[in-house]
Amino acid sequence: MQQFNLLLASLPDGILLGFVYGLAAMGLTLIWGVMNVINLAHGPIIALGMFSTFFVYSKLGLNPYLGVVPIALLGLLFGILIYAVAVHRVINAPHLSSLLATFSVNMIIIGLGTAALTTSPYNVDFFAGSLQLGSTTLLGTRLIAAFVTLLFTGGLYFFLYRTRPGKHIRAVANNRAAAELMGIPSTRILALSFGLGTMLAAVSGALIATFFPFNILSGGGYELKSFVIGVLGGLGNPIGALFGGLILGMLEGIIPAFLETSWVPVIEFGLFVAILLVRPNGLFGAKK
Amino acid sequence: MAVLEIRDLVSGYGEVQILWGVSLALQEQKLTCLVGGNGVGKTSMLRTVMGLVRPWSGSVWFEGKDVSRLPAHAKAEMGLTLVPEGRQLFTDMSVEENLEMGATNRRARPKAGRNLERVYAMFPRLKERLGQKAGTLSGGEQQMLAVGRGIMSDPTVLMVDELSLGLSPVLTLQLFESMRQLRDSGITVLLVEQNVHMALAISDYGYVLSEGKVGREGPARQLIKDEHIRSAYLGL
Repeated sequence: MQQFNLLLASLPDGILLGFVYGLAAMGLTLIWGVMNVINLAHGPIIALGMFSTFFVYSKLGLNPYLGVVPIALLGLLFGILIYAVAVHRVINAPHLSSLLATFSVNMIIIGLGTAALTTSPYNVDFFAGSLQLGSTTLLGTRLIAAFVTLLFTGGLYFFLYRTRPGKHIRAVANNRAAAELMGIPSTRILALSFGLGTMLAAVSGALIATFFPFNILSGGGYELKSFVIGVLGGLGNPIGALFGGLILGMLEGIIPAFLETSWVPVIEFGLFVAILLVRPNGLFGAKK
Repeated sequence: MAVLEIRDLVSGYGEVQILWGVSLALQEQKLTCLVGGNGVGKTSMLRTVMGLVRPWSGSVWFEGKDVSRLPAHAKAEMGLTLVPEGRQLFTDMSVEENLEMGATNRRARPKAGRNLERVYAMFPRLKERLGQKAGTLSGGEQQMLAVGRGIMSDPTVLMVDELSLGLSPVLTLQLFESMRQLRDSGITVLLVEQNVHMALAISDYGYVLSEGKVGREGPARQLIKDEHIRSAYLGL
């Protein structure tokens, strides 16, 4: 009975967290799906999103959610810049080159971030009310984050399936040479895709900032979760990533009711390996 | 004036040279074929012309302009379209979306409606399959879609690589016939084919590629009677 109460308290929390995990993973998996590049700068970009929210809330004194749209735009531009500077030159090279290139970006951001912001924890102490459902308390910040995630997921889906540039992204992901032959400027589309992936990562960071204290290294954990989610949902399938995120969030809500919290990563990565062994295309199918 | 002219084109992959100075010229609104056996460089030539492979030397002239260094998407924008070997469809996208992607360039967009009607008239079967994923079509339908997608780009010159590959004789005939229709509608067509006899039989002019160079050329009607070609390619 005590476990059941614990579960009632932690499961909804985990699911709401899962939305944001899904958003972060969507960014990683979009980039992989379009250009077969694993973005190792994913974590630090999430962390930069967190600091952006800190800046909006603590320095500008504004409502942190006012920062979401500007942070998204900055994330888009930052991603395009990373693509132009670091990724484009190795886009046709073997995977190791693009891994090293994005890892370098990762190290640069972490290095500069540590110098400028230290590694002591920052905090966005924002309270957006709470919702009481029986014995379960849902925090307003998490509800808003889940809602923003749904908006971005819907927006991404609409963009990819209903707009011309979005369809161009899918065409380039599907067959880059053919897209080029049809007059689609594939380099520009790749830059746009990298920008979108970075945007999603930055927005997820911006939302997570209101949940937990963070520093410039905090994105690392979410980057690892994004890998697990990406594989769960099928790498290259951004919509599958949302479901993968929800599954992971659910696990994080369920496991602590029965086991020590320290078992969470063990089970998550055990699942990661199991999925890779049994269903390498993910639960919802991946790009071939 | 030739609408597309290739002068002394040399290219290859890495250290391996494939093209050893190919020259050919497409006369406007004619159906020209480039024939030759497996591995003589036909596909490499098309890829070099489009800019998917960088030319080592030589040049490509389209409508009087040197386009040798332009990327493929810029050439498609100008009206030079390649229907690539193996169809290269967007297999995860629907038939309709594939056609829509064909009409990407700015010239083709306003004409998309009219070109779509042309595609449907030529290949009614595609119209029945609009919502289906391109990867689930049969081989013949996929080839129709590849050609249809090319038509959607409103080409001045349409180059088709191995139209007949893997198709039944009936479908091959139908698709070759559609090439003549395209020529009659004012498009300059270059057919690149291993099926030497059929290609020569429907073309106005022919080139024979062997070992990375143009061996023979002439009106298709004469080439088909050429003793050397008859023995080397037609087994006669």
